[in-house]
Amino acid sequence: MPTGDSWGLLACLCTVLWHLPAVPALNRTGDPGPGPSIQKTYDLTRYLEHQLRSLAGTYLNYLGPPFNEPDFNPPRLGADTLPRATVDLDVWRSLNDKLRLTQNYEAYSHLLCYLRGLNRQAATAELRRSLAHFCTSLQGLLGSIAGVMAALGYPLPQPLPGTEPTWAPGPAHSDFLQKMDDFWLLKELQTWLWRSAKDFNRLKKKIQPPAAAVTLRLEAHGF
Amino acid sequence: MALFAALQTTFLLVLLPLGTYQRKVLSEPRPLTPESLEVSINSTCQCLHLQWSIHSLPHHQELQMIFQIQISRITTSSVVWVGNYSTTVKENQILQWSWESELPLECATHFVRIRSVMDDARFPKPRSWSKWSSWEEVDAQDSLGHNALFVFPKDKLVEEGSSVTFCYVSRSNLNNVSCYLDGEQIHGEQLTPNVSTFHLSHVRYKRTTGTNIYCEMKQGRKLAGTVLYVSKVLEEPKNFSCETQDLKTLKCTWDPGSDTALTIQPSSNYTLFESFSQKKKVCEDRNWCSWQVTQDSQEMYNFTLMTENYLRKRSVNLVFKLTHRVRPMTPLNFILENINSRNATVTWKVRPIGNSTFQCQVELHHDGQVIQQNNVFIKVNGKYLLSEMEPDTHYLARVRCAYGNHFWKWSEWIDQKFTTLEAAPSVAPDVWRNVRSLPGGYDVTLFWKPLSKSHANGEILFYNIAVESLDKSSKFNLSIPAPHNDTKLTLNKYSYQIHVTANNSMGTSPASVIVIPGEPGHKEIEEERVKGTENRFSLSWEPQSRDAIGYVVEWCDHPQDPLCGLQWQKLGPNTTSTVISSDAFEQGVRYNFRIYEISPGWIASLLEKKTGYSQELPPSDNPQVTTSSLTSHSFTLNWKDYSTESQPGFIRGYNVYLKSKMEQCTSGFERITPSDDSAGCRHKIDNPEQKTFHVENLEPASSYEFFVTAYTSAGDGPNGTFTKVTTPDEYTRMLTHIVVPVILCILLITVLFYFQIQWMKEKCYPDIPDPYKSSVLSLIKSKENTHLTIMNLKDCIPDAIEVVNKPEGSRTQPLGTGKPLTETELTKPATYLYLLPTQENPSGSGPCICFENFTYNQAASDLGSSGHVPVPPSTPPSQLGLLYSPENLLKALEKYYTNSLGEIPAGETHLNYVSQLASPMPGDKDSLPTDPPVQAQCSEYKMQMAVPLGPASSPPSEDTSLSSTAILDQGEHYC
Repeated sequence: MPTGDSWGLLACLCTVLWHLPAVPALNRTGDPGPGPSIQKTYDLTRYLEHQLRSLAGTYLNYLGPPFNEPDFNPPRLGADTLPRATVDLDVWRSLNDKLRLTQNYEAYSHLLCYLRGLNRQAATAELRRSLAHFCTSLQGLLGSIAGVMAALGYPLPQPLPGTEPTWAPGPAHSDFLQKMDDFWLLKELQTWLWRSAKDFNRLKKKIQPPAAAVTLRLEAHGF
Repeated sequence: MALFAALQTTFLLVLLPLGTYQRKVLSEPRPLTPESLEVSINSTCQCLHLQWSIHSLPHHQELQMIFQIQISRITTSSVVWVGNYSTTVKENQILQWSWESELPLECATHFVRIRSVMDDARFPKPRSWSKWSSWEEVDAQDSLGHNALFVFPKDKLVEEGSSVTFCYVSRSNLNNVSCYLDGEQIHGEQLTPNVSTFHLSHVRYKRTTGTNIYCEMKQGRKLAGTVLYVSKVLEEPKNFSCETQDLKTLKCTWDPGSDTALTIQPSSNYTLFESFSQKKKVCEDRNWCSWQVTQDSQEMYNFTLMTENYLRKRSVNLVFKLTHRVRPMTPLNFILENINSRNATVTWKVRPIGNSTFQCQVELHHDGQVIQQNNVFIKVNGKYLLSEMEPDTHYLARVRCAYGNHFWKWSEWIDQKFTTLEAAPSVAPDVWRNVRSLPGGYDVTLFWKPLSKSHANGEILFYNIAVESLDKSSKFNLSIPAPHNDTKLTLNKYSYQIHVTANNSMGTSPASVIVIPGEPGHKEIEEERVKGTENRFSLSWEPQSRDAIGYVVEWCDHPQDPLCGLQWQKLGPNTTSTVISSDAFEQGVRYNFRIYEISPGWIASLLEKKTGYSQELPPSDNPQVTTSSLTSHSFTLNWKDYSTESQPGFIRGYNVYLKSKMEQCTSGFERITPSDDSAGCRHKIDNPEQKTFHVENLEPASSYEFFVTAYTSAGDGPNGTFTKVTTPDEYTRMLTHIVVPVILCILLITVLFYFQIQWMKEKCYPDIPDPYKSSVLSLIKSKENTHLTIMNLKDCIPDAIEVVNKPEGSRTQPLGTGKPLTETELTKPATYLYLLPTQENPSGSGPCICFENFTYNQAASDLGSSGHVPVPPSTPPSQLGLLYSPENLLKALEKYYTNSLGEIPAGETHLNYVSQLASPMPGDKDSLPTDPPVQAQCSEYKMQMAVPLGPASSPPSEDTSLSSTAILDQGEHYC
């Protein structure tokens, strides 16, 4: 190898080392950004999914058949006020980060209120404990989403006055319809958690690019 | 004026009865039809609420009226209910009445009409009904809304066991609707084209959230449902009771029964109401409630416990005097003091209730049992002395108290455990000894039984053994630590007195004394048999001396073990019998009992010996029997080695079983009738010491099978195999006496001959000398005649074979092949016969080689005029080796001829020789017995001449007689 080439290589290496602190993904001392928050939110979502599976089983047994039957799929009679998690795939793909996070935040805010109403109604102490524990976890998820939004610089959606959901069935509301609402509340919650896991996974990939890509870019710049 | 007054009075008197009559007998008014009938629905109670009024009541009075109400469903003609309602009616009063429908009112249109009748005594009967009001229609379906499907009633609450009817109302075809009760499809009854009803009887409680009933319309995914809440029946509180501990607070308790809580109905609450004070308290708990006693010294209380839910009310009542419901609190400061080996003092306190005394109960427990119970009356402080307790024993003391003025209930117990102190052992240990004589002394083993807990009075620490010589003043002590219960002493042949005491921390027990005499008596005592039952033996004995201070029975629990497990039982002086029982006794084990008499000087002397089994068993094994003295009529059985002592029962004798083919048993045997065919005859031997038996009167040459078994009182020994014995024939013995010596003699002779065979051989048939080793060879060599040599067999070339004895040819044939000669051969007058035998010739005698003898060579040539020498017709095949077969013969001849022509010098062709010869075999069939055998195997040097067939073969012909005779003369050497 000629001597001139060795010097050139050394110069390139020094240049790379000089620029290393400037690469965000490798800068361990600076602000970690929203990446860890998104990861934590994603983890919490998965944990809540798991927790809800157990809670829903207990609660639907408490309601009795047919609500605890696996193939029971009633029409959504009185549950129209619940935020719907199902959305067209193209629409979902086209959502920007802000809208995506805002929808999540709003949905869980509403669902949490409904869930607290459910807790007040539960007859057994054990069920009340389980629901309270889940409400606390859901409150944590809500805070986590708010943290992510703050990290990304998005404002939190303000609840419109008078739209605070309440658990006050109307005079025509029968107990059977109430049970249907409970059923749909748990079902929507399950769907929302599933959707949120997808949302945060997508967001995670978007905000936190993989380390391999960083290395490739480094090589391209250095040499 | 007076007249006016009188007229007035008369007028009044006339008018009064008229007025009275007019009030009593009113004319019947016309019937009053109810008016303004209005019907409304209360869905919650499924009630039709009716209100109406009666206008223009006659005389504006209150009237008792009966209203008849008719309710129809769907159409006015289908009346579902008719009933009367009686009430007092005032002018312009709006009357109300409700009817509860079994069917939810939303399920069908209802029609109501009403009519009335006077029911007042002031109107004469008969009274007629008014006209019916017009039908009032009630249709709840109009207000249902626009849903396609409805289920009624909504959220119905009923008690367990009730019957419920519900329905669904569909806006479309009914066939598409399916209804489910808790997931199970149910089928109803069609009421109208768009309404079906379902009737549920005796509904059961499922869960607090109710039973879900829903109907589903397949098309359009329409679903409607309702929840049927089935409540458990509210029970009346049981065991309602109130009591106080301090006359300040009452505590009332009860058993509430099943909880009737549902999500739609809270748990039934309980309320206490006291009627004297008119106070009420809602209880927080379902099964108890506290009540604050007022300070106004209210003595009597009348409580009512009430409970209710949405469906039912229950209440119970309790009246009592406060001071009769006092249950004191648990006593305090329960302390045990001054605990010693027998006594202890307990003290306690109670919380005072006014100036009342308390009745307290003190109990002493031991091993879970109450052993003492005493009642004491105290004010505040209690004290009681517990006595008569055992030393070193665990106890539990407890106390409870009751209100002294009026007993209601005891308080809770308060208790404490304690242990009394130890005391010195109260009795002497039970000691016994085992004495074994030694040269110049004794081995004395002392045994003692551990003291019982009641006698030990504490933990025994050691046993003290004090040994004192009675003959000379010597004494020594031993201390054996517990829990050892034996010790061995080696003593001289003196008398010793031994004192044994048990010691615990508190002192020493009384001593147990035993004396070992210096000279033990040697009295022979006969052993007596005893019979045991189960695990016990009844023993009795004859006292020997009147001044005995007691008796000791000694035995071993495990007599088969080396350690034996020595046991003893001490008995009083007036006892002459006892029952020895032990769990260790086993059936089939012999136990030996020794009964000793204890003299006033504590010397034990053997009185009697007993032996027995708790239960005898059959013998464990059978004798090993040997037979002897077998004759044709008898044999003897022996089982001398059989031990009768080691059996699981006393051997009473033996049974000898004998089987034979004979139908009759031999004398001394009896036939037994067994279940199988195997057994035959039996002889019973009653003497266990008789271990031999002579079986006699048997048949000669017969087979017998015998089996000997011992028996005890429990039966025979184990089944065994029969041994077979066959009696000999009568002549066999005689024959044996002759044949055996003869065989022995033959054997002896054979042996002698074997050892003398060399001598015999030398005398009878010495070895043939080997010509190659002959001294003649050296002679030849010395003459340097190189042409002279020993003729070899291969050098013998027969050039011609001549039959010299033909006329008797038929006789010679068997000597050869055994194949008969053909007629052609027989008829030839003089022809050459076969030189060699065929293969069929079985003879195998040894070779007989004829060697040329130079000594007689010339003479021989002289005797034979020609070179052709007569040859016998047969020759043993082995003598010729390879020339055995005709083919080999031809080859050999050819070869030999060739060799001879080539090797033999021309000048020597005159050499005279003859071929080999053989004599006929001695075992020839055709040989006459009288003919002496001709030995052709053995030869010495002889002239090589043809040998005739022998004198026996055929009468010699004239042509051959000469030569035959000559040969015989030369063969004188044959044995």
